[in-house]
Amino acid sequence: MNVQEYISSGNIESYVLGLASEEERKEFENMCSQYPEVLNARNAFELALEKSAIENAITPATDIKNKILLEISSTAKVIPLSEAPVKSINWFKYAAAACVVLLAGSLYWNISLMNKNQTLQNDYQSSVAKLSEMEKDFEILQQNPNVKMASMKGLETSPQAFATVYWDTTSHDVYLLMNNLPKPASDKQYQIWALLDGKPIDVGLIDNEYFIKQNRLLVKAKNVQNAQGFAITLEKKGGNPTPQGTMIVLGNL
Amino acid sequence: MISKATYSEQDLVTQLQERNEKAFSYLYDNYSGALYGIINSIVTDKEIANDVLQNVFVNIWKKIESYDASKGRLFTWMLNIARNASIDEIRSKGFRHSQQNQSLNENVDVSGASTEATIEDVGLKKVLSNLKSEWRILVDMSYFQGFTHEEISKILNIPLGTVKTRIRSALSQLRTMIQT
Repeated sequence: MNVQEYISSGNIESYVLGLASEEERKEFENMCSQYPEVLNARNAFELALEKSAIENAITPATDIKNKILLEISSTAKVIPLSEAPVKSINWFKYAAAACVVLLAGSLYWNISLMNKNQTLQNDYQSSVAKLSEMEKDFEILQQNPNVKMASMKGLETSPQAFATVYWDTTSHDVYLLMNNLPKPASDKQYQIWALLDGKPIDVGLIDNEYFIKQNRLLVKAKNVQNAQGFAITLEKKGGNPTPQGTMIVLGNL
Repeated sequence: MISKATYSEQDLVTQLQERNEKAFSYLYDNYSGALYGIINSIVTDKEIANDVLQNVFVNIWKKIESYDASKGRLFTWMLNIARNASIDEIRSKGFRHSQQNQSLNENVDVSGASTEATIEDVGLKKVLSNLKSEWRILVDMSYFQGFTHEEISKILNIPLGTVKTRIRSALSQLRTMIQT
């Protein structure tokens, strides 16, 4: 190939101006490496082109440079970081996921603890209330020297039944301790009687609620001025003015 | 502008590849006008030309690693980025727009001789205006409008071989015009 002909046939311009095909580019690069004349001619054209372009320059608006510098400085900062963050982003994701799981677990734990705490507090309060009722009841029996006691034993129909009556001889208050009384049918109710000279005096009914809740040690009955003994009968609900039903327990003072 | 240079081209490239923003600022100060001239000779809309210039410099910054000094000068590399970005821009303006260009060029071919130097050309296009009109159209379509030789052959209804030889002749003429 005639090198001078190759140089003057537009190959250099075509290559430098980016108009050459891929094939032409490869051929030109080969020519450059083989023939210094081609390379020199290319350099000369490039310099002339650059000079011509600078002579024909149009100055752009000043704000464009700032926009570009702003844009590249944001990428400039991203580039050196781009190696490490791949790991740290994953680390962050796992850490965040772990935090969410821990938080959820902690919340669940807290809520269940709170519920448990609430239940315990309720239980505690009802226990304290029950205990203070019982302490009051116990004080009546223990600290009052005027209280008389009558053990009421089960009769033939209910040999297992057993209750105790406490009678305050000064205040005339009657308290009943149900050691062992079976729960009555819902249409029946236990009625308490004071016995004076063989006559029964009504001193009240035992609320059936007692057999459900059982939060009182003693059941307070009506006052009675005088008594020699006490008895409990099973009456219809609401009781009777005189005993009609079966006598369950009986005892004398 | 070149006289202001404090960097040799090799130093400049090395520092740009090391992401030196000062070197980049220097590059912009010395070459933005020349590249803006090329962009304006392809993209006629001022706003779009500004956007293209911005993208070109951002791309120079991003792609500086791929610059290979054995294949040409830094300016040549940048010039091709600017030209390609400009061509992409005018081509992306839609098929309809390029169709308009095509029919316009067919008309230009018919009355080609009469359009000589009536439009005030800027940048490299000014150099182009000194070419013979039959060559000028070919260089204009090829370089400034990005048409392939095949497209030019079809649009101007000239055999492909003729397009190729005429463009080569025009380009070599361009070289002698620039270098004198």
